[in-house]
Amino acid sequence: MLEKQVIERIINAALDSQADFAEVFVEEKKQAHIMMQSNTIEDVINQHKFGIGIRVAKGYHSVYGFTNSDQETDLLKLANDLAQSFAGDRIREMVVLGDIQKGNKHPIVLFPDTVDVQKKVALVKKANKAARAYSEEITQVSVSYMDYVQNVLIASSENVYVEDQRVRTRLGIASVASDGTSMQTGFNGPGSHMGFEFYDTFDVQEAAKEASRTAVTMLHADECPSGVMPVVIDNGFGGVIFHEACGHSLEATSVAKKASVFSDKKDEKIASTLVTAIDDGTIDNAWGSANYDDEGHLQQKRTLIKDGVLTSYMIDYLNSKRMNDAPTGSGRRESYRYAPTSRMSNTYIANGESTFEEIISDTKYGLYAKKMGGGSVNPSTGDFNFAVMEGYMIRDGKIAEPVKGATLIGTGKDALLKVDKVANNLLRAQGMCGSASGSIPTDVGQPTLRVSSMTVGGRKGAN
Amino acid sequence: MQFKQLFDKAEALGFEAIQATLEHAENIDLQVFNGELEKHQMADTKQLTLKAIYEGKMGKMTTEVIDLSHADAWLDALKNSSLLIESKDEVFIYEGDAQYRNVDGLYNAELSNTPIEAKMAKVFDLDKAIRNVDSRITLSNTYYSENRKKVWIQNSKGLNLEKEVNNAFLGAQMVAKSEDDSRSGFDYIQSNDMNDFDVNQLAQEIAEKGLSMLGAKSIPSGDYEIVLKNTAITALLQAHVGMFSAESVQKGMSKLKSKVGHKIANELISIVDDPFKPKSTRSGAFDDEGVATTYKHLVENGQLMGYMHNLKTAKKDDTSSTGNGFSGGVSTTNMYIQPGKSSYEEMIQTMKKGLIIDDLQGTHAGTNAISGDFSLQANGFYVENGKIVKPVALITVAGNFLELLEDVVAVGNDLKFNFAYIGAPSLKLKGLAVSGE
Repeated sequence: MLEKQVIERIINAALDSQADFAEVFVEEKKQAHIMMQSNTIEDVINQHKFGIGIRVAKGYHSVYGFTNSDQETDLLKLANDLAQSFAGDRIREMVVLGDIQKGNKHPIVLFPDTVDVQKKVALVKKANKAARAYSEEITQVSVSYMDYVQNVLIASSENVYVEDQRVRTRLGIASVASDGTSMQTGFNGPGSHMGFEFYDTFDVQEAAKEASRTAVTMLHADECPSGVMPVVIDNGFGGVIFHEACGHSLEATSVAKKASVFSDKKDEKIASTLVTAIDDGTIDNAWGSANYDDEGHLQQKRTLIKDGVLTSYMIDYLNSKRMNDAPTGSGRRESYRYAPTSRMSNTYIANGESTFEEIISDTKYGLYAKKMGGGSVNPSTGDFNFAVMEGYMIRDGKIAEPVKGATLIGTGKDALLKVDKVANNLLRAQGMCGSASGSIPTDVGQPTLRVSSMTVGGRKGAN
Repeated sequence: MQFKQLFDKAEALGFEAIQATLEHAENIDLQVFNGELEKHQMADTKQLTLKAIYEGKMGKMTTEVIDLSHADAWLDALKNSSLLIESKDEVFIYEGDAQYRNVDGLYNAELSNTPIEAKMAKVFDLDKAIRNVDSRITLSNTYYSENRKKVWIQNSKGLNLEKEVNNAFLGAQMVAKSEDDSRSGFDYIQSNDMNDFDVNQLAQEIAEKGLSMLGAKSIPSGDYEIVLKNTAITALLQAHVGMFSAESVQKGMSKLKSKVGHKIANELISIVDDPFKPKSTRSGAFDDEGVATTYKHLVENGQLMGYMHNLKTAKKDDTSSTGNGFSGGVSTTNMYIQPGKSSYEEMIQTMKKGLIIDDLQGTHAGTNAISGDFSLQANGFYVENGKIVKPVALITVAGNFLELLEDVVAVGNDLKFNFAYIGAPSLKLKGLAVSGE
């Protein structure tokens, strides 16, 4: 992607200063999108991205620059401009790169660029048809198909010289149900670090119907009552609650600056003893997996919380210096347009010992959040909010009527401590996570669990 | 860059028309955290977007490898993508309008020519000013982001347009701590004129946002009189702008379908889309399709006047494009609710038992852009007999965006735009359902 000698010259130009770290990130990405709406293929778009990012640092202070140019003169000029921030006599010896490293933990069978585009179109149509066939109340279905091959080359002054290839694909189905006056939506978006073979690993029609099932169910749902009540959050995308409310607060990005509620809490109990939470970037072909992180370090499996005790943060290289803690291979970025920082990969709460049935039958009155929508969190206070995409009331230990428009609010700290049941049905689901270093693929996940009390917002008012 | 050769090649291969859009962007990003430079980033990037009509269908592609020696591969990709399209919608590559308005104030050379040291100084000044406001302020994160963009649009029908815009963002987030509470505040200024960056005033406003919330608690659930501050209503309006897009309407994804000429909001409400607002990156004489932009009322005194159109949606509705064709779809330029006569203070003084909502969280997830239903986490202040009594947090407010526009009883004179150039004044409402304790 860029000659070794050229990379060495860039790194050494950047280090011709007081800087003690320099890194070159080269990225080439070919991405394809197919969009179907109103029963017709509306857009087919190909994107070709190429760029180079250069990072120069002294201690944990860094500067970053990027360009589309692969010309050595442009890149050397950028390296020199960046080094200006650390002007002074050179402190590092000349850097010589070793042999290039490559990983192959997530093998690809059918590379997307070798698959006939007609097959991709047929897949989109199959999903569209299944989603529409679910009910006559489905009035609109949008299906989006995406695949990409991202090749990266990462080299730094710290003995890093690696190449990695990330191949990902995702199918998104958004259904709208309407009875003429009100409309409700449902979404399902399975994805993976795989080629086109991903679509042989599950039933595409069932996945499409799932989006429609939520939309139709919510069309016939009553407004959710508000108040403080036990909330049972289902497995799979329910894990977004941990991702948002706790995961972000365990990233070095906020922990290192002591801007997180979990700063300086290592080895302390921060959650119910039923909670063990893991961030694992090594799961075979998972959506948020890769061989290396975007700083060229091997991806890892990190146990963040063990039986309620905080055991590890997610730490990138520069923040490890600020925190005096070991890096965990958690430096990720959307593209060459972002400097990397600590990010999640595949984050989930581990299985407990209850069963789904036990948890429901043990709940006299509460909300069953079967499908979560998105949410957000303020990392300095831990305040979070989540939309419930599909919810039901629980009455006398039984799942009762469906309810729409529910929002869960609270703080990560409290919610973690109030988990009083964890089931044994762990499931992961795919999402895109937006933060300082851009939008990256991450898995969220958990078994069904119960939070003993949570504030539920809804339009029906208090009961 | 000259695309004539590419256009000639396309014509020879049977394309009906082709358009090239070249964007050249330069960015500077600075961040100061608690007095230390945290981020310094510089970027210089180019992107080429091509769209071309083949057998009546539009193929599209973008590339960052801008080398005309790839022309054959580009045209091949465009042809292949157009052959897959099934949409029967007529597609357009536009020959251009007779006249384009001269829009002033989009590019300010002084901003681009100001040395980096002066910009760095602004960021450090803001950081220091915030931390000097009050000893309870424990953290400040200050940002400066500058963008300069030059765009060329050329097509095989003779269109040849260019524009240059620049803009800077100066803002900060702070955290204030008391014994048992911690609150954050965030605000910013956007402009291409360094003189607009009043560091001391901005520091006061940001600090006040966090400090005033210290000790905030939930309140009992119920119906309260509401003042939605400009910052909160812009967030809500932004989440619902799709309702006013002809694209959403034609796809059955807007509740405003068949409502043109009907009353959809209180008569106090007028909503405008203004492409000529100075110092905004969303402003310009033409949209991405090369159509001359227009100033328009979407809602006038509560009545829906029309939708935003691009060439495709306009053709379907047998009307003209409003110059809102952006990023392949329909989107706003500078859209805002027109300010009224009430001052923010007056609106509060006339409340008996009410809530000021100045912050709504999670609008990307807690709103339904199709139905207008929302349920959102909110922060604000509890008001009794016209006086602010205490800060309020951990509540949710729920309602419907269109019902809310109907329930307006007063419109403030404090129009404010957010980073996406969506603007609104503060609004006083009859009430909203609040869930708290």
